[in-house]
Amino acid sequence: MKRLLRALMTAASSRALAPLVIGFFFLLYIGIAFFTDETLITLMAFTSKSLILAALLALIPLNYAFRIVRETLRQFAMHRALTGKPADRMSELFGETVELQASPSFPELESRLTAVGYKTRCSENALTAWRGVGIFPARILFLAGTFCIFTGILISITTRTSHRQMVIEGEPLPMPEGTGGRVERITLANSSGPILSRTLTMEVAPSVSGYGKRIFGIYPPSLYGSYFVYPRYLGLALLLRFSAPDLPTGYEKQFFLNCYPPGKEASEEIPNSPYRIVFSIPEPDAGSDRYISYMTGNVTLQFKLLKGKEVLFTGAAPGGGEFVRDGYRLAFPDIRRLVVTDYIGDYGVLFIWVASLIFAASGCIWLPIRFFFPRREMLFRYEHDITRACSRAEGRARIHAGVFHEALDLVDAGKPDRQSIRL
Amino acid sequence: MVALKLIPQLLSWIGIVLVLLRGFPGRRSIVTAASISGFVIGVAGDFILFRSFPGTIPFGIIKSALGVSFLLLWGISVATIYRSTGQGVTISWGERLVNTSICAGTGALLTGIIAGAVCACRIPAPDGNLPALLFLVLVAGILTFFALAVEKMLPASLTVSPSGMLAAVVTLLLFSSSSILRLDLFSPLSMKVMKGVHDFVHQFMESILIPDHLFVRPVVWKYIGFLFGKEVGFWGGIVIWFTPAFLIALAIQFERLPSVAHIRQGAQRRRLLAAAIKTQRHRLVIPLFSVVILAAAAYQSSFPSTEYWDPKPIPISANQAGEIIIPKKGEIDLEDGKLHKYLFKQGGREARFFVLMTPEGKLTVDLDACAICKPDGYGQAEGSVICYYCKTLIPLETVGKPGGCNPVPIAFIEKGDSVVIDSVTLINSWSTTVKATARVKEGGK
Repeated sequence: MKRLLRALMTAASSRALAPLVIGFFFLLYIGIAFFTDETLITLMAFTSKSLILAALLALIPLNYAFRIVRETLRQFAMHRALTGKPADRMSELFGETVELQASPSFPELESRLTAVGYKTRCSENALTAWRGVGIFPARILFLAGTFCIFTGILISITTRTSHRQMVIEGEPLPMPEGTGGRVERITLANSSGPILSRTLTMEVAPSVSGYGKRIFGIYPPSLYGSYFVYPRYLGLALLLRFSAPDLPTGYEKQFFLNCYPPGKEASEEIPNSPYRIVFSIPEPDAGSDRYISYMTGNVTLQFKLLKGKEVLFTGAAPGGGEFVRDGYRLAFPDIRRLVVTDYIGDYGVLFIWVASLIFAASGCIWLPIRFFFPRREMLFRYEHDITRACSRAEGRARIHAGVFHEALDLVDAGKPDRQSIRL
Repeated sequence: MVALKLIPQLLSWIGIVLVLLRGFPGRRSIVTAASISGFVIGVAGDFILFRSFPGTIPFGIIKSALGVSFLLLWGISVATIYRSTGQGVTISWGERLVNTSICAGTGALLTGIIAGAVCACRIPAPDGNLPALLFLVLVAGILTFFALAVEKMLPASLTVSPSGMLAAVVTLLLFSSSSILRLDLFSPLSMKVMKGVHDFVHQFMESILIPDHLFVRPVVWKYIGFLFGKEVGFWGGIVIWFTPAFLIALAIQFERLPSVAHIRQGAQRRRLLAAAIKTQRHRLVIPLFSVVILAAAAYQSSFPSTEYWDPKPIPISANQAGEIIIPKKGEIDLEDGKLHKYLFKQGGREARFFVLMTPEGKLTVDLDACAICKPDGYGQAEGSVICYYCKTLIPLETVGKPGGCNPVPIAFIEKGDSVVIDSVTLINSWSTTVKATARVKEGGK
């Protein structure tokens, strides 16, 4: 049982596991590409529906979690060895290990290594020398980042839900389950930020269900309940009154027009009639912001009235105004700002955000250390008439190996029975 | 003429045999016999396949074999770099397997089969041109013995690692196939990368809830839009194309030098290390040679010597009823199997389309654009049409069927001796297709 567990642990923390799983998904991707153009979406759909594929994908974060544990334990063992304490499997911890049948002069060795820039620690039967900074923190951060990103992907693929709702100024905030507080104001403004050219805020009053006053922006999207509020497109909520010669009783309804940017057409049918109205926002005057009508709320709607396929006439009217011709009447008594909003139920997003921060931190630590101060270590331990010497380097390995070999020569110098054993 | 056309394939064959002989030292007779047998089987297999099935199937089978060998190269290169950067260098079971005569024979046989099949595809009408096929086999046999003689003259220090051998063999096969439009892998790879990157970026942005372009600065969106262009497909394809050979070269470079810590004479240590470094450098020759060959294959694929049939679109108009009528015979023969392009203009809008008779004898009317790429149009060559934007080849048999990078088919009727197309359908179809693809390629989500 113990051996089985150890084998499982070894497999789970193997460096080969993640590339194998990724390779499998890559092959699956290629296979799917033969049958559909929507390859990635199909692969994601398969993974979300198949327990086996999801479990296979879960092996990647699991593997990285095990590797974090394994590399931390290894680091502890290394630390223990370098402080002069006995450690198991020394040859696995170091890049090069050799045994010499010689008794070293530690003070002489210490002064030699100090002269070439190594820091040293000497005890009764051990000498440790090192220089540079270890990349262990950067390595652990990298592993943690990879763990987070794959955990995020797994959670996203298997649990993500998306609900599209129309958030309308002055009306309760629609939610996938029930409603939130009243949307007091929707504001679109220009921004001088380096990434975003506009800011959008949706101010929501406290709700009866216990949510306090909230202001939702664009990025990062805020959580409301268990959903991210993800604003997608801008539009208008139009209250339309329409009457025609063959429809004298008239018709009144609120339409949600996804009509921004200006020029985009939104088509609406008048139920139980042959009429269809195509709305659009006219392009503003040259020099004005394209979204000026949304920003100020002074909206003039262009429309095209169709009966069947025939265009009856085109026209325009401002919010609160009306248009009358040939017995037809179109009135726009109320136009409000609207934001087409997705409610995304997906905690995987948090993991992905965290992963990007961790990767950035890891890269910032790794780069200078690896190129300017790589860690190089050596250990000389004298026990039972044998000197065991170990060495490892995270960079500039050739120069370090030269110093190590010279140190070994120094240990071995002058001994009558020279013998060294490579481990 | 046929012999001239076959020069790249035959040169590749010499290279393949040389690498196999050097990669399996001590197994010269097995490698020679197996590679020649494989070549003959490949040529014979091509002959049978082209006789038994329509053109797309044999090409599909050979292209798949090349694709699988490229994937195998990828897998091996990743495994090699993992092994060389890991702790403890040991000879794995894989390496022991490579050194067996069964592996040498099988590898040479399979390589010979693919190489033979690729060479036979270069011969016009491989299903009926028996003398040319026999000539090809004869030349390949002579070249095998030539390679055998050349290999003996190469310096003994020029050794080949198993992964280096695979890299060289696969890249020579890819080079060999790159001059045959319907077997070329690089252009389809670039196209798939373009689509894959597009999907990935889109999904990634959706996943981490990035706002839509209306909120983002145009200059930032321009950079994001760059990820949707064909340049990304090309450079992404280049990365995928070259990475295995580079990984193998890196794996050789990263291989740990032998431990010399147990040797107490400095001079001896240095001599051993110098010898190990020299061997390592010699082993780098073949992977780096593979990089050069891959570059040649990519160039051949990106700038093929084929001339495409691409007539200038003829302006055409509709009658009072909004019908575009094109006579089947007349100045232009619509049934000659060639692409015939037309340009229809109406009220400031225009649509480009073509009429083509497929090999099955069916007329098809299609937009000179697909539903994925920018409408750069199509040209015709070697039993296929090519999308100029992404360089995807569409077999003539599938023109008229919707989907992927196929030209968008347009409904039409055959009235007597004419083809009749509804102008409104045509112009609307062009508007929706071109608007959608142009928006995507210019950076829309």
